[in-house]
Amino acid sequence: MRVPLDWLKQYTEISCTAEELAERLTMGGLEVEGIELERTEERPLTPVLDVYITPNRGDCLSMAGVAREAAALMQTALHLPSAPVSEAGGEIEAAASVQVDVPHLCPRYAARVLRGIRLGPSPPWMQQRLLSAGQRPINNVVDVTNYVMLELGQPLHAFDMKGIAQSRIVVRTARIGERITTLDGAERTLTPEILVIADAEKPIAVAGLMGGADSEVADDTTDILLESAHFNPQTVRRACKLLNLRTEASYRFERTVDEAGVLAALERACELLQEMGQPAPVAGHIDVRAVPDPPIRRITLRPSRVAALLGIPLEKDTVAECLQRVGVKLEAETGNVFTALLPTWRTDLQYEEDLVEEVGRIYGYENIPEVLPAGSQTGGDSDWGRFLAKVRQPLAAAGMQEVVTHSLTGPTPWDDPADAEVVVPVRNSLSGEVSRLRRSLLPGLLQIASYSGTFSRDARWMFEIGQVWQMLQGEPAEFTAAAGLIAGSIAPPDWRREQPSADFAQMRGVIERLLDSLGIEDVEFARPSAPGALFHPGRAACVFLKGELAGVAGELHPQHAQKLPWRERVLLFELSMQVLHRHLPTGEKRFVPLPRFPAVVRDLAPRISAQMPWEAVETALKSVHEEILEEWKLTDLYKGAPLPEDVCSPTISFTFRSKHHTLTDAEVNATLEQLQNQLRQQCGARFAGEEG
Amino acid sequence: MQAEPFLCQENSLLNNQITHLLEQALAAVQNAENTEELHAVEVACLGRNKGLNELRREVGALPKEERPAFGQNINEAVQILTAALKAKQTELAQKELNAALTREQIDVTLPGIPMPAGRLHPLTATACQIKQILGGMGYEFVDGPELEEYRYNFEALNYPPDHPAMDEQNSFFVTDTRLLRTQTTALQGRIMEQRKPPFRIATTGRCFRYEAVDATHHHTFHQIDVFMVEENISMAHLKGTLGVFARELFGQDTRVRFRPDFFPFVEPGVDYSISWTMPDGRVRWLEIGGAGLIHPNILRSYGISTERYSGFAFGLGVERIHMLRTGVSDLRLYLDNHPRFLEQFA
Repeated sequence: MRVPLDWLKQYTEISCTAEELAERLTMGGLEVEGIELERTEERPLTPVLDVYITPNRGDCLSMAGVAREAAALMQTALHLPSAPVSEAGGEIEAAASVQVDVPHLCPRYAARVLRGIRLGPSPPWMQQRLLSAGQRPINNVVDVTNYVMLELGQPLHAFDMKGIAQSRIVVRTARIGERITTLDGAERTLTPEILVIADAEKPIAVAGLMGGADSEVADDTTDILLESAHFNPQTVRRACKLLNLRTEASYRFERTVDEAGVLAALERACELLQEMGQPAPVAGHIDVRAVPDPPIRRITLRPSRVAALLGIPLEKDTVAECLQRVGVKLEAETGNVFTALLPTWRTDLQYEEDLVEEVGRIYGYENIPEVLPAGSQTGGDSDWGRFLAKVRQPLAAAGMQEVVTHSLTGPTPWDDPADAEVVVPVRNSLSGEVSRLRRSLLPGLLQIASYSGTFSRDARWMFEIGQVWQMLQGEPAEFTAAAGLIAGSIAPPDWRREQPSADFAQMRGVIERLLDSLGIEDVEFARPSAPGALFHPGRAACVFLKGELAGVAGELHPQHAQKLPWRERVLLFELSMQVLHRHLPTGEKRFVPLPRFPAVVRDLAPRISAQMPWEAVETALKSVHEEILEEWKLTDLYKGAPLPEDVCSPTISFTFRSKHHTLTDAEVNATLEQLQNQLRQQCGARFAGEEG
Repeated sequence: MQAEPFLCQENSLLNNQITHLLEQALAAVQNAENTEELHAVEVACLGRNKGLNELRREVGALPKEERPAFGQNINEAVQILTAALKAKQTELAQKELNAALTREQIDVTLPGIPMPAGRLHPLTATACQIKQILGGMGYEFVDGPELEEYRYNFEALNYPPDHPAMDEQNSFFVTDTRLLRTQTTALQGRIMEQRKPPFRIATTGRCFRYEAVDATHHHTFHQIDVFMVEENISMAHLKGTLGVFARELFGQDTRVRFRPDFFPFVEPGVDYSISWTMPDGRVRWLEIGGAGLIHPNILRSYGISTERYSGFAFGLGVERIHMLRTGVSDLRLYLDNHPRFLEQFA
């Protein structure tokens, strides 16, 4: 809210500079976001404070409201305008009538009628003030209503009496299908949730929001009805949402206007009009109230509790003095319990704790000491957080850069059309860029690849751990995934040599390292029946843990790879963190005694069909259960001359060891022979010197 | 090496031969230029049936009484030669090693081979550090969903229905009842449903608000939220906790300041700033986040006695912390993942 300093000074003494005032207001809870120096005619420069009013402080949305806060903070006197209004002849009862059908939505409706108004511009001083507060001057009547709203916070509305059928005001909810053309020229369809000011026939204003064009004060206006009313904040807010319309008036009504100030605002408007040479109002005013004389609101307050919650030893007198400054009076009840009498404008004060805050901010938060809570507890990351850190660690150690991409996305070139049915859309998205929740982390990684490749040779190994969503049985479900993108060599080429580009096996190594570091065993990479549109159909695998699908890994489909500025093959993987977590081993890893006897290493180099998957070789080898067979490794995979084209020759290196003694050649040979036999039988393997 | 004179009992022809051979051999040892030549000398003089050993065979030609002396002379000659060979061997080996070391000299000023650099994203790294600080202060981290229920995001946090306070929290709705959480504070209700005080909880994660994106606003950002409920908790405890936390994060000179502010879930509500020394040496107050004592409505709605218990809550932005500490000026950089940006933060 724009607060011209000159205007503010009308209501309280401000002897400090604008900057000092801004600091005091800010530290008192009214944040001054900036000070603008405005040029006016009378004075070369008038500082205008830009004050942010929190949503609970509707009472501060006026010059008087800010002045009241300033006076409380700086302990200066407050002078609010109050002048008795002289009245003209006639009787209000004859001039107009008001009927409130829904008193719970409109607890108070006051009105005066003025006859013989001469419409014209308002005086320059008023125009100047309106402009510096950010309002456009329109005509004397409208300017007065706006001026009073800015001055006292109570929105007013002036109706042309010609536009009020039978001079009769009815406050009611709109009927289905009713329409109104508002002052902004828009024709609006109303619903029964919207409160309207109607005349005998039709709505002539949307309550608390905007008047209707038919009753607009215009050049030919002579007689007006001035409305000053109190509307239910939620009702006004709902109307704003339904009509997609916000005004200065609705902004204040939503934040609650002081119901007790309704008449004062009406009288102030009449006073200003009279000052401007306009006629006095018709004698009497209308004031329809749901509760004619509402009691003063009260809260029970214990000064001891104020001290306990603020953490400052405060005496009762100090508490009372602080509250006195914000208009709250304390009455003794019994012992250390008091009753706080609340000012009408502070509808935000509802609980004892609200008064604790008032005391705190007036006494000064800078006076609160720093104390640590007593006692200690064990803390730390959640189990899930620790698990994700354990996933992050080996991926980063593998040379992958962690990235953090958007979970709110739009369509990307990398989407799998098969996912369309399970993608979770965002309902109230206005922009296509944030229209859905990501189903997978891979498009985000590819998005980075598509723009970072043009200038960077490194940073092509990246991973992300984040949330993904999909529809499950009609409901959106949230999961956590870890995904990686690998392209090119793990490190940039250096002055000695070009590093080899990564391939599927290298990515598989990264995944295996990750799973191994988590202690997860029984991992299977299997060729998928339908690998997904993102993947090269011949170079993709599903990752299974104990037979449960945990993710996918594969090479980017060449058609997709074309969209990237890289020549290297692009490898992708994505794993479900929920599945990995389910397969974490329970309990600590147990120590295995160090071997006491030497190992014997022997190689076999069978010739097998090039079509034979390595898995078949593994299966054959696994069928040999000999205690001395410690492990085996594939150390070479040879293809080419002199082997026929459809034959390859893996070199398998076996390690034999006994826990009890040094192995003899005979023992090793016997097991080796078994291994050879299994390879012959299960894989059709041939060995050196054998035919075929 | 000097040939040592040795005594011959008989100045016989054979003994002269020993002397002669030894002198020749010692000269050859002396002249050897490298270990290979030295080895050749060794073979020629001490090899089987060569040099001195060849002379041993002549023993048969000597009269019986001269034989022991002759043998002794040869043995002494062999010992002298062996010692000379060994000394020369050591000398030559050292020389050759020195030559090899000189040959193997490299240019240590050449650049190193880059190690593959896997780094954490600065937001993750910052969150990790905050987790360590708060974990050490006894706060247990708990995770909440990003796709949150409306009631936890607003109602459980004392947002009155249709209140303007929600205007600042414009949300992305996914269903009638679920939205992308606008604040990690949404975890509070979930915790209070399950636990009885005392507790000290912290959470971190991604939040979403319907905002136009610019250098200081984003529809996606990351928050840390801390809340605790114990007996006799006051604003002084909140200030003390924030003080320790801020000093761990921003340096031991950091001070904390409160300013009244409004959040529906705290009363009193404040925003807190830290003292920040600008490059020109001036100290400014920088707003970090919101805080306050947990609103009594919230405690009561979970059956927690406000007479016995009170608690505080505070929140802050992960991006904000990293921006303050490193001088990053554009919020958008974090989700852009520009390699030149990420590689700056090891």
